Amino acid sequence: MTTYTHSTIVAGIPWKNPVATASGTFLAEASTQYYDVSELGAVTTKGVSPIPWEGNPSPRTAESPSGTVNSVGLQNPGIDHYLANDLPQLKQLGATVITNVAGHTPDDYIQVVKKLDNSPADMLEINVSCPNVNAGGLSIGTDPTTLYNLITDLRKTNQQTNSSSNSPPTVTDITTIAKAATDAGADALSLINTLIGMRINTTTGQPILANTTGGLSGPAILPIGLANVWKVRTALPHTPIIGIGGIHNAHTALEYLYAGANAIEIGATALLNPQAPHTIAQELETLLDQRPALAAKLAAGETWR
Amino acid sequence: MPREWTTATRNPHATPARQPGRRTVPVIRVQALADTIIELTLQDAHTARTARPGQFVMLYTHDQSRLMPRPFGVAGTNGDTFTIIFAIVGEGTRQFSTLREGDTIDMLGPLGGQAFNLDQPGDYLLVGGGLGIPPLLYAAQRLAAKPDTRTTAILGYRDTRYADTRMQTHTPHTHSITNAQGDVLTLLNTLEPNPNPDQPLTILTCGPKPMMQAVHQWAQTHNANCQTCMEQRMGCGYGACVACTIPTIHGNTKTCTEGPVFPSTTIIW
Repeated sequence: MTTYTHSTIVAGIPWKNPVATASGTFLAEASTQYYDVSELGAVTTKGVSPIPWEGNPSPRTAESPSGTVNSVGLQNPGIDHYLANDLPQLKQLGATVITNVAGHTPDDYIQVVKKLDNSPADMLEINVSCPNVNAGGLSIGTDPTTLYNLITDLRKTNQQTNSSSNSPPTVTDITTIAKAATDAGADALSLINTLIGMRINTTTGQPILANTTGGLSGPAILPIGLANVWKVRTALPHTPIIGIGGIHNAHTALEYLYAGANAIEIGATALLNPQAPHTIAQELETLLDQRPALAAKLAAGETWR
Repeated sequence: MPREWTTATRNPHATPARQPGRRTVPVIRVQALADTIIELTLQDAHTARTARPGQFVMLYTHDQSRLMPRPFGVAGTNGDTFTIIFAIVGEGTRQFSTLREGDTIDMLGPLGGQAFNLDQPGDYLLVGGGLGIPPLLYAAQRLAAKPDTRTTAILGYRDTRYADTRMQTHTPHTHSITNAQGDVLTLLNTLEPNPNPDQPLTILTCGPKPMMQAVHQWAQTHNANCQTCMEQRMGCGYGACVACTIPTIHGNTKTCTEGPVFPSTTIIW
């Protein structure tokens, strides 16, 4: 059991350290075999939809240089299963839980968010940037008006839970999207989701992924995530930001904190090493010991810049 | 009706037992079994003592641009060591082929929620094709220690019969065929379909999907319980990413934690 002294605050929610898991790379029944989830700042669960989703056909994953392209398509057993299984289990284990919410239509999101009202979820992350579904996801997160309307409606549905909008990196100007989300009532921003990519099998001449394209994640996208966090922090000096993208050790986590993030999430790296989120949280504790000014700002709910 | 076995259900409220994470283990031996087929012996007491036939390990390259692990079925255990067998098909497996005794490699496992079920006494027919044979070698090793079973192996190869010698150490009833001669169905159809009618017949199969489908159909007509070890491109191997699904009668199902071994009657062929 590690004692964490460097906490952070994200949109009013205290985290015992700045490290969380990223949605899609954490599943309670799998990840809890490898570390104590109560030792992380938070865990973000997989996108949950109003009814069970079967996801995309396989193959769903392809390796790429310093990364991976995936097209799972948000397969999940639905909000009722989540409320009866994953969420109570994680709360019983002492985790701070961010519930990632997915939908094909605004009504899908509203149904899920309504069911999460008065649930023990600590925060909601509204997935408006998944590149692997035909409707919803990225088609909402790339249009400021659609996003504004969705977040406004969700805010009316659920007043209690702090919500974070998961903004896509593949837009002309991410700050416009970020402002639309916060103007509509998003308490925080999760930056960034995966980027659209693909691989081709040179024996068959066909795409490796059954869905043709997928989302690129892993260390390859680290500089893109950092640039987006920097840009949004500059445009929105006071909005809580969770930095995501390519973090593979405590030093790269630290880069996001210096770019202006309040906290970070570990994604693809947890697929290469199930204990990575826990290991990075422990290593970051030491790095923050050596950086008292940054640690003090985070503990006060502020950011480096 | 073919015999079935039941799949244990998980209690979602139970705290899972902690599993060992990714770790670095010594390479004990590297042996070429054919031109491009390599047997790797690794030292890891946990895998050697706990792996069940059909389970697999994830191996990681040292190359920082190739981060994703590759899954390999456990092919046998001996004391604190275990073996895997792979073909050099891409850059990742080429890098594994350059390992030498005394080197180290990172691994995770053993993984796989459903292994071959060897509880049933009686006749076992192990039908393997190509690189699907290694998990059956391990099943044969374990079956050889069970006096109430009798194992016959039917192995199909593209060309070199790389695993015959190893299979023969576990069972004298080893038959094989190469692509030039025919396929495993050719061999299956030359067998006495039910050599011991009073004994239950269990078929374990692993190999290319069309082969396993044909074996499944053969099992259906011979009233045999058929267990298939399925393959799919994997992300993490431990159940988190949900990339490695195959269509089953229960919907898209993960091959890592809900497989890789499935009753053949649950697969949507």
